[in-house]
Amino acid sequence: MADDTRPQPPVSGRRFWISREEGPGEPDARSAVWNEFPEGAADPPELPADALSRRRFLALLSASAALAAASACSAPDRGTIVPYTERPDEVVPGVPNFYASCFAEGRRAHPVLVRTREGRPIHVEGNDRYATAPGKAPYRAVADLLGLYDPDRLREPQNAGRAVSVPEAERLLAEKARKAREQGLPVLLFTDAVLSPTRARLLAELRKVLPGLEVVSYEPALGEGEERVLRSLFGEAVNLEPRPEKAKVILALESDLLSGEDPALVRAFAAGRRPEGRREPLARLYAAEGRFTLTGSRADARFGVRTGDLGAFALGLLRLLVGEHGVSLPPGAENLPWPERPLSSLLGAGAGEREAEALARDLAENRGAALVVAGSHLPAPVHAAAALLNLALGSLGKTLGVWPWPTAVAPSGRGEAEAALERAAEGRYGLVLFWGGNPAHAFPGHPAFGEPRREVFVRIGLHEDETAKVAALVLPEAHWLESWGDFVPRPGLKALRQPALRPLYPAARQGEDWLLGLLRALGGQGAEDYARFLKERWRREEWPPESPVPFERFWAAALHEGLVPGTPPPVSAPSAGALGPHLCGASTPKGLELVLHPSPALYDGRYANNGWLQEWPDPVTKATWDNPLLLAPADARRLGLKDGDRVRVSEGGRSLESAVLIQPGQREGVAALSLGYGRQALSVARGVGTNAFVLLGREGERVLRGVEVEKIPGRKPVPTTQTHHRMEGRDLVRSIPLKEWARGEGEKREGHPLVSLYPDQEFPESKWGMVIDLSACVGCSGCLLACQSENNVPVVGPEQVLKGREMHWIRVDRYYEGPEEAPRAVHSPMLCQHCDNAPCENVCPVNATNHSPDGLNQMAYNRCVGTRYCANNCPYKVRRFNFLEWTAHKREPETLAFNPEVTVRPRGVMEKCTFCVQRIEEAKVRARVEGRKVADGEVIPACAAACPAEAIVFGDLKDPESRVSRLARSGRAYKVLEELGVRPSVTYLAHLRNGPEDSE
Amino acid sequence: MSVPAPAPLPEELAPPRYLEGEVTPGALDDQVLAFPERKPPRKWFVAFAFTAALAAAGFGFIGYTIATGIGVWGNNRPVFWAFDIINFVFWVGIGHAGTLISAILFLFRKTWRNAIARFSEAMTLFAVMCAGLFPLIHVGRPWLAFWLFPYPNQRALWTNFRSPLLWDVFAVSTYFSVSLMFWYLGLVPDLASLRDRTTHPLRKKVYTVLSLGWRGAASHWVHYEKAYLLLAGLATGLVLSVHSVVSFDFAVSVVPGWHMTIFPPYFVAGAIFAGFAMVVLVLVVVRESMDLRNLITLDHLEVMNKVILGVSCLMAYSYFMEVFTAWYSMNPYLHHIFRQYVSGTYGWAGILTLCCNVLAPQVFWFRKARRSYPVMILVALCVTVGMWFERFVIIVISLHQDFLPSAWHVYLPTKVDFAILLGSFGLFFTLVLLFARVLPVIATTEVKAVLPGAQPRHAGGGHE
Repeated sequence: MADDTRPQPPVSGRRFWISREEGPGEPDARSAVWNEFPEGAADPPELPADALSRRRFLALLSASAALAAASACSAPDRGTIVPYTERPDEVVPGVPNFYASCFAEGRRAHPVLVRTREGRPIHVEGNDRYATAPGKAPYRAVADLLGLYDPDRLREPQNAGRAVSVPEAERLLAEKARKAREQGLPVLLFTDAVLSPTRARLLAELRKVLPGLEVVSYEPALGEGEERVLRSLFGEAVNLEPRPEKAKVILALESDLLSGEDPALVRAFAAGRRPEGRREPLARLYAAEGRFTLTGSRADARFGVRTGDLGAFALGLLRLLVGEHGVSLPPGAENLPWPERPLSSLLGAGAGEREAEALARDLAENRGAALVVAGSHLPAPVHAAAALLNLALGSLGKTLGVWPWPTAVAPSGRGEAEAALERAAEGRYGLVLFWGGNPAHAFPGHPAFGEPRREVFVRIGLHEDETAKVAALVLPEAHWLESWGDFVPRPGLKALRQPALRPLYPAARQGEDWLLGLLRALGGQGAEDYARFLKERWRREEWPPESPVPFERFWAAALHEGLVPGTPPPVSAPSAGALGPHLCGASTPKGLELVLHPSPALYDGRYANNGWLQEWPDPVTKATWDNPLLLAPADARRLGLKDGDRVRVSEGGRSLESAVLIQPGQREGVAALSLGYGRQALSVARGVGTNAFVLLGREGERVLRGVEVEKIPGRKPVPTTQTHHRMEGRDLVRSIPLKEWARGEGEKREGHPLVSLYPDQEFPESKWGMVIDLSACVGCSGCLLACQSENNVPVVGPEQVLKGREMHWIRVDRYYEGPEEAPRAVHSPMLCQHCDNAPCENVCPVNATNHSPDGLNQMAYNRCVGTRYCANNCPYKVRRFNFLEWTAHKREPETLAFNPEVTVRPRGVMEKCTFCVQRIEEAKVRARVEGRKVADGEVIPACAAACPAEAIVFGDLKDPESRVSRLARSGRAYKVLEELGVRPSVTYLAHLRNGPEDSE
Repeated sequence: MSVPAPAPLPEELAPPRYLEGEVTPGALDDQVLAFPERKPPRKWFVAFAFTAALAAAGFGFIGYTIATGIGVWGNNRPVFWAFDIINFVFWVGIGHAGTLISAILFLFRKTWRNAIARFSEAMTLFAVMCAGLFPLIHVGRPWLAFWLFPYPNQRALWTNFRSPLLWDVFAVSTYFSVSLMFWYLGLVPDLASLRDRTTHPLRKKVYTVLSLGWRGAASHWVHYEKAYLLLAGLATGLVLSVHSVVSFDFAVSVVPGWHMTIFPPYFVAGAIFAGFAMVVLVLVVVRESMDLRNLITLDHLEVMNKVILGVSCLMAYSYFMEVFTAWYSMNPYLHHIFRQYVSGTYGWAGILTLCCNVLAPQVFWFRKARRSYPVMILVALCVTVGMWFERFVIIVISLHQDFLPSAWHVYLPTKVDFAILLGSFGLFFTLVLLFARVLPVIATTEVKAVLPGAQPRHAGGGHE
């Protein structure tokens, strides 16, 4: 201690000394000051060198006690964290990678981008290079991310209920096929729509080695009327491409044009409904329908017509056009006979004859800019009538494109499919391969599926579903996010599908790979795997050989972009005369009509194991976790039924049981039921709703007549996310007629000045805000799913939805106004309004919710105790409380679906929309690294990114020139519950009505 | 000159008698202080077993709630608060009568309070204990409820003093601690008497510790009286403040039906109302089962019932003013919710509240009714039920239909909700029963002060 490491007093300068010892001079006295414990005072001088001194002993004792306490305090780590020792190429931890891929469903394919983090997909969004709908993905594509991580997925091949290895499974499959070939028995491949040219090529190759191969390509969700009519009209299988952006007048015949299943259609429609100036004309949408569809709810004028009468309605309209508006019938159709029924006899409540006159006038005046679309579930007569209207109005090639079916495998009808299944039941096939779809669910009670594990049945599928249960050999299929493929989403446009990750389960292979293995085993020529097969076909057929770009570069670019443009082959000219037989098929409705339509959530039932989609409220009924029988109010009254009553629905000896939900606006005499529910397998899907495929007849007719509905005992309340449907005269969702807007009315209504006790908050840099254009929003609710995927929003189940505990951070409010027979519906997305004077903030006793300097109303989940006071005090009721534990029990693979940027909330904690703060921060970091400000439009929350109508705009309200600021100054702008003085950051733009009487 | 003896007054005009028969200080001690020394009767054990079982079941369900989450209750969106906060406000309200009787009536020198103050004050404490349970268990993460206290911590986290819930924490805990002190202070001389009487060694030890060395010296009494007066003054303010603060939970919010300036006085009146009804209920039972008819007289009960009648009229006025304010506000949200109070899904609850709280007590305009056991028990039960439903009306009905109809949802309580509510009653009555056995239910020292001849008086009277 004697060595002189102590601080030395400075040699010069003014200096104060505190005692004589410290003063200058006297080195010994100085050292006495710094040496607190002089020699011998602390350590006995005689202590041996290696002995433990008292101080050191105490130090060691306290250190070990502290360490012991510290280690006892922290919970044991429950996992290991392993860093990348060899980082894969292109993977930077914490930075997402995007892969272009393609989603396909039914007859549609849609290019998408898959956002991956550390090698696992976490979000699906649209491909921004896809010009028809840049950055927009169908909502079910977004939701099917969850399907990838479905814990019910098949992980290993199974033979007769026993797990087998992949080579063994391949051998068994080849053996079965060889046996069939040797016995000379045909082989049936029962699959869904073949949209992929390469898949069609593979099937053609397979047919070379299996001459008896029959392919049934059947989509149970879709009706066959359109297919039949188009085939007669054009002489070949074609696809229609409605182009709403080119149409000034659109007539939707019970069509799901605006369902969001094809975001391009919504985008095109919305583009025509978003006026910048006051004098801009808007597209006008008419709807005629028996059900109350989302498209109908957005129509400017809606005709309540029984679904079975829609054909007659279209023909009556055509008669009116020809007779009074000088529209001429297309060549060949002049002398077609068709049943005559006066329009007035078809119309129910709602728009009447005057509007029908207006519709005829509008269509006639907009020849070449008019468009008639009919719902895919409607029978041939309606499609034939719609085709005649389109031909007469000159829509073809202008507002309606036609392009040939992209592959050689044309879709099969239900009759064809059923016949094949009957042959299978009789044992006429040597091998039946079920790949895709779920025929045992789509053909309930069919004899082919009567016995389990038939020796000749092979299932290639994602799950051990109803069809897998009847197959002896079950082969696990890879999810589309793990697969290769190519599609034709738009005329001439080729899209590539590439895996965003390796299959989660090594034994899972895409169906093509299993078939490719079979092809090689049977002696055919085929690449080693489908990736190569695809590439080879592209080298031979898609790469222009005269191109200066070498193939490898072409291929890499194609994979990177996901898209390769081209021109579609021409379609032969339509012959309207061929429509005759279809037109005469129109029949008059009798009794109660039942319309079977694909479920907006589950489609044909393939997504039934997807909790996000099960809990996704139907955009119109707001029902979740069920497919209730939708009845018109008058019919419900007649039958003495209330919401939640149970009924037996029977038709022609077939029957099912279902819950009832009364649907305002549905035409009297029309009932509706969606397909896809009533699954009998898989943990989430089983027992939800009722299987309406039971009622589908051999012809696949989806509009059934003379249906009996009788009340049966018991009740089954339908879990709906909205239980009150009227606005009660409150100024919540503004809808103004176009003429008022054009005259400069409908301006912001100024209330009395609102004062606050607190000083205004200051936003030094930016203030985030949102504008939602209700004139563009169609209510498709795609935003819900994008938000759910982005923000790890949990699924709570039907019992909890019934209790009003669903967790969606954004919801779409839907209100009805007017009589319940013919209400007008309005839709309004509702999310946290990020109020400047947020009433939730001042009532939280622990400051868990507070305001950020850039205008966000933040939630600190860690700090939240769960008093729920904030939610009581939220006038918008957008806060969501974790009443129970929704996520902690989740294990892999479910946990892999979580977005790592967003905290998973435990029970007892409040949560709500954050404006996707993680995306804001990402953009801010990027901007800071690049030394600039965040650009306008750089931050796009998940809801805005997914909105096909582009109705949601996000940005900085502090920048007066940002898009969001400009829109917020619009004459249509208003804020919900402005009068409360909470100053929300979300501005709504009033909806504009453009009915015949709404404009000048 | 002799004054002619006054003609005997008719019974209705006779001064109330707060003591019946001959009561001497010794007899009083023997009557009141003997209870802790005696083995309780069989019916006490039966009652105790019942209430304790109820309380145990309630705590079992509380444990279940804490283990599972408050999703086991019926609370939903938008009714984020339901039975939890109803019960809290209800019990805090019950807890008002005791302090009012012991403190405010003390300051007003209403000597009739002396015989019943001890008991009603104990009820206050037990009610506040029941009340305090609910804010604790109703939060989503009860194990973190201590974050509501502004304690210094390394994370530099602080509470939000703008939140009425925080004010609640302070108001209720202050009220509880002051009530406890006040009650305990009053107990000290009686505890000393118990200590002096008992021969059982354990009881002796316990009462010795509890009586804090009280010897009944004059200096003790001087300090005691001063402290008692000061605490009475302190408690008086708290009686008025605590329920005002509880009402701020509602009044400060934006919810239509909550955002009302009348709430603080209206809540205080309601609390006194409910508290008095509960005191009457328990007093009747105590008077009969413990044979205290001479100390707690029908006149005591009658004066209580008069208070109930008076406050009932105050409640009627509050209800009327609330409706008037709502109507006069021209606020459509408020109009809607006030219609819901009497006509919507839960309209029956509003009607029930009005019948129980406004109509039923009107029977007390009649002297016969005020002195009739069946009538007063019935009315007290009505008021208790009515006041519980008043909070149901305010909390559940207001929440279930607020601003945006899209978010409206009906509320249905679950079995767990009812079990915990009953459990709180079980806890309350268990504590009451225990209290009745181990501590003097009547403040003997205070009653001694009003025994005939206890106070010096001028011969010939003048005023009392």
